[in-house]
Amino acid sequence: MTELFIWVKNIFLIIIALSFFQILIPNSEMAKYLKFIFSLVILATVLEPIINLVNLHV
Amino acid sequence: MDYEKILTEQLDQVMDGEDIDGIMDKVSQLTEGISDEFTMENILQSTLSGESFFQNQGVIDSLKSLMLYEIKGALILGVEVLSICIIIGLLKSLSDSFSKKTVSQLSLLVCTMVVIGISINSFRISYELALDTVSTMVYTMEILTPILIGVLLATGAVASGTILSPVIIGAVTGFGFLVSKLILPALFLSTILGLINCLTEKNYVNKLAKLIRNAAVFITGFLLTVLTGIITLQGILTEASDGLLINATKYSLSSFIPIVGGFTSDTVELFLQCMGAIKSVVGVFGLVILILMLLIPLLKILIVGGVYKLTSAMVEPVTDGKIADGLNDMGTSMISIGSILFFTSLLFILFISIILKIGGGS
Repeated sequence: MTELFIWVKNIFLIIIALSFFQILIPNSEMAKYLKFIFSLVILATVLEPIINLVNLHV
Repeated sequence: MDYEKILTEQLDQVMDGEDIDGIMDKVSQLTEGISDEFTMENILQSTLSGESFFQNQGVIDSLKSLMLYEIKGALILGVEVLSICIIIGLLKSLSDSFSKKTVSQLSLLVCTMVVIGISINSFRISYELALDTVSTMVYTMEILTPILIGVLLATGAVASGTILSPVIIGAVTGFGFLVSKLILPALFLSTILGLINCLTEKNYVNKLAKLIRNAAVFITGFLLTVLTGIITLQGILTEASDGLLINATKYSLSSFIPIVGGFTSDTVELFLQCMGAIKSVVGVFGLVILILMLLIPLLKILIVGGVYKLTSAMVEPVTDGKIADGLNDMGTSMISIGSILFFTSLLFILFISIILKIGGGS
């Protein structure tokens, strides 16, 4: 259960940090791509326990 | 014959005084003194004199005042959230007049985080209350079940007593452990995820939060069904063999022992019925304590949950849908926690009533 709490804390912190970044980045052509990369980062964080689970059994 | 005195004495012999005092202390703490009226002695007295044991207006009055107090506290919380949401709405309409959007967006984010902070804090209080309630319920069951099983054995239900005792204790401890270590924390996590979701413009973790919550509620329902099924089936099966045993004893006493056999058989039956009366008193005590233990925390949690739903409805016109959705999710999570508490106590109440049903008056 402690690991799950750490996982949710990670998601929380990353989403807060990324939403700050999203506001602060200058409005340019790259902004769209940056947003996509941010969502990839969030995806990786959400997937973390599943990746660990797969690695555990191999 | 002064059977009242005998019954009282027997009850004292059966009960372990310190354990029951321990239960009463914990429950009284949880229910803020409402349970003090329902001691085992009072229930026995009213059973013997044939009155209803629930006759005092005081319980209803204190319940009412407690409820009003809780509603007031929850409404203050709702007003806090509502006022911050009004500020958010104001900022949103002001944001057009700023040259750069960044400032207003940042302030919106900070305001939303304040709302989230307030909500998580109040949710944590309810969560800890639910954990406390579950552990007190398990503690009560762990003390009451051996006593009830002991009395059950004394009423002649030997097969039921021996088989049900480990099953019920195992089920109670296991269910309590799962609820307090897996299901309630999972609900807590799902609430936090749901609240993070109202920070961002896009839905990042909305479905994940819903998945965790649904899984927790599903596991509870599944466990409840399986455990109740097992115990009920066991009860039905063993009850038949108990009936056989008692009837064989009575029959052999009255027919194989000459002259005094009939009296002995009647005495045995009287003894069994007296133990049945004590069993009902202990069982009713357990049921009343469990119901009170459920009622007050459930009331508190449901009131807070209802206020969150209300706030979400109030907030919707002034802010964007995101925060209203987040508050609505909070309300749903609160109500889920309440329903899990309800399931837990329902399971325990079913256990006690199954023990009560077996070999009642034989």
